[in-house]
Amino acid sequence: MKGIWLVAWAAAGICFGQTAKTNPLAGDPQAAEAGRGVFRVYCSPCHGIKAEGARGPDLTLGVFNAGSGDADLFAVIAGGVPGTEMPAFAARFADEHVWRLVAYIRSVKKESAAAKGDAEAGEKLFWGKGACGQCHMVNAKGGRLGPDLSRAGRQRSLAYLRSSVVTPGAEITPGFATITVVKNDGSKVVGVQRSIDNYSAQLMDMKENIQSFWRSDVKSIGREFKSLMPDYGKTLSATELDDMLAYLTRLKGEETKR
Amino acid sequence: MTRTITRAVLFSAAALAALGAESVPESKLRAAQDDSSTWLLYGKNYLGWRYSDLTQINSANVAQLTPKWIFQTGIAGKHETTPLVFDRLMYMTGPSNHAWALDAVTGREMWHYSKPVPANVNLCCGQVNRGFAVLGSKLFKVNLEATLVAMDTKTGGVIWETPIDNIKKGYSATLAPLVVKDMVLIGIAGAEFGIRGFIDAYDANTGKRKWRFWTVPGPGDPGNESWGGDSWMRGGGSIWIPGTYDPELNLTYWGTGNPGPDMYGDERPGDNLYTCAIVALDPDTGKLKWHYQMTPHDVHDWDAIADPVLLDVTAGGRKVKAVVQANRNGFYYALDRATGKLLAAKAYTKVTWADSIGPDGRPVLIAGQDPTEEGNKSCPGLGGGHNWQATAYSPKTGLYYIQSTDGCQTYFKTKQEFIEGAWYQGSTVSPLPTEPATGSVLALDPSTGATKWKFPMVSPPTSGLLATAGDLVFTGDREGYLAALDAKTGAVKWKFQTGGVIIAPPMTYLLDGKQYVAVAAGSSMITFGLR
Repeated sequence: MKGIWLVAWAAAGICFGQTAKTNPLAGDPQAAEAGRGVFRVYCSPCHGIKAEGARGPDLTLGVFNAGSGDADLFAVIAGGVPGTEMPAFAARFADEHVWRLVAYIRSVKKESAAAKGDAEAGEKLFWGKGACGQCHMVNAKGGRLGPDLSRAGRQRSLAYLRSSVVTPGAEITPGFATITVVKNDGSKVVGVQRSIDNYSAQLMDMKENIQSFWRSDVKSIGREFKSLMPDYGKTLSATELDDMLAYLTRLKGEETKR
Repeated sequence: MTRTITRAVLFSAAALAALGAESVPESKLRAAQDDSSTWLLYGKNYLGWRYSDLTQINSANVAQLTPKWIFQTGIAGKHETTPLVFDRLMYMTGPSNHAWALDAVTGREMWHYSKPVPANVNLCCGQVNRGFAVLGSKLFKVNLEATLVAMDTKTGGVIWETPIDNIKKGYSATLAPLVVKDMVLIGIAGAEFGIRGFIDAYDANTGKRKWRFWTVPGPGDPGNESWGGDSWMRGGGSIWIPGTYDPELNLTYWGTGNPGPDMYGDERPGDNLYTCAIVALDPDTGKLKWHYQMTPHDVHDWDAIADPVLLDVTAGGRKVKAVVQANRNGFYYALDRATGKLLAAKAYTKVTWADSIGPDGRPVLIAGQDPTEEGNKSCPGLGGGHNWQATAYSPKTGLYYIQSTDGCQTYFKTKQEFIEGAWYQGSTVSPLPTEPATGSVLALDPSTGATKWKFPMVSPPTSGLLATAGDLVFTGDREGYLAALDAKTGAVKWKFQTGGVIIAPPMTYLLDGKQYVAVAAGSSMITFGLR
């Protein structure tokens, strides 16, 4: 197999015609097992090797953002969710394969612990002591340097959010690496990656200016897969951390339209 | 079963002959390197060099290179084609069973071929196609649903279309065919779907199959003992990059893909011949002359499909006709192409699974590198090392140019029940979150595999390479740049942002005294010339 997987599928906009409302392979353990094989290849990079979520939502909760019926799951897998990191797989999978994935996802349902903190307190913390809003936006309010968190509670699992707050460098959201440009006079520009290639780099600096540099015009351009975000595991108490997570998991944004 | 569909031939043979000489007789294929104005074979010549003798565009003036025309196909998907150029036209295939003939001067469309892709075709990696082959007045291409089509060079009209095998079993076809003598050689894809791989030869005139070589031998055939139980039936060994051909030795060389299921090796105890290997076949009979397996019992999906390039190396103080390959497992290999004997092997990227390649030709394994249920880190990652991206050899610099993905991945394995036509990979990989893979263009000494220069890339490579006598190596990248590097040093001499990911190798041709460089980028074909 080639192993060159482009994330940006150009399949959005494909019409799927009439699909079944319920999974024709529902309850078929063979279908679920076949689905697991496909899941591990295509879905686990975001949803985790056991479907418990990572950068993508936890799929073991039995509750899904774009509708919880079989046909809803089918539509999300086949058509993707525009405006999110969820790509469309219709160009790659026949309907049967999509139903196998739905069968697998149904087979992994389990009860999961919800965030136990106080969301109101977490919200105060977010905009106050935590100063999270300096870099993160929630519902069009806040800073631009870090990822927009308006839908964090939909997009990320609780465990992933906890890890992101406690050890932000554990996994960087793609496209949010740290870029350091050393100019010919020795001065440095540090910011968050907007784009990088073999010949140039574009970044947002700490004052939210977007800057662009040719490699040939500067001394060096470095990219590090570390976060500019402080390590909140050291500054938040256990209670504050729970409150923060309760707030973040409550951030659901708008219902996604397909 | 193979069925031949022959389209009604409207003209008699005599009438056709009266219309003019054949565009590309077999003699022109054998002399493909001598005609710099055309591009007649996937790898430019039978040896797979991807080297042009043209010097009009060179390291002194390449900064003046500018787009001359852009043809937008309007078809979504990965454009992986190496176009052919002859008779003043450019012939390019596209994704999803599309193909075009373009005026090579203006980029205007002369004809467009398309055929709907069946919904139940299984593909690991997109609805891709890597190009045409030509003989006489016929173009040959595979369609995704595992058919081989012959079409008229002037109109794109179908002359015959032959089913290769059954898509319900997971078979598909993506490679550019290889014409040898009066035959069209192809291989089959689908090793992620439990297929049993093969290489076929078809009569160029009729589309009738002449022979089949199974890359996974059946009971009673040598090599079948390297498969436990009946695992050979789902053994993989796909072929998705065309082979090369040595007319003097009359041998054709093909790289084979991974065994199936990819990561779950417990299912298939043994070396799993002839997967992850180079096989040398007699093109007249399809009989195996020799094989060399780079990765016995592969569990990392390290296909040996990279171009098997034919060139001379120095070994033991003498010149040896070699076949070389930058394998996906991280090692560069040079083999005596008459015998398959190992001449040299050297890692060109970080490798943690083997210490070296032993004198017996087998890797000296390092323990603890196999996939596990929980995940196990190994290097290189699933894509390699060097994957299928076309390589280039310059006899002028004596260097062999490849692209490498540099990094590691976590490998998982899962026992998986086989269901015909379903994914049968036996699990997956995940990237290391804080150590994403990068890439490089490398210039290797083909005799030793030693790196002579390295051009670092921020991302794993996608494009493939072209070397020219103008002392240039053209390379593309994921971010959309086409660039010309100094063939001797790797220094950047020119670059252009095409606006689309480049997943195809650049090529070059000469028309009306002007040299052009062309490459598929995004959903376009872009041709460059000097200002």
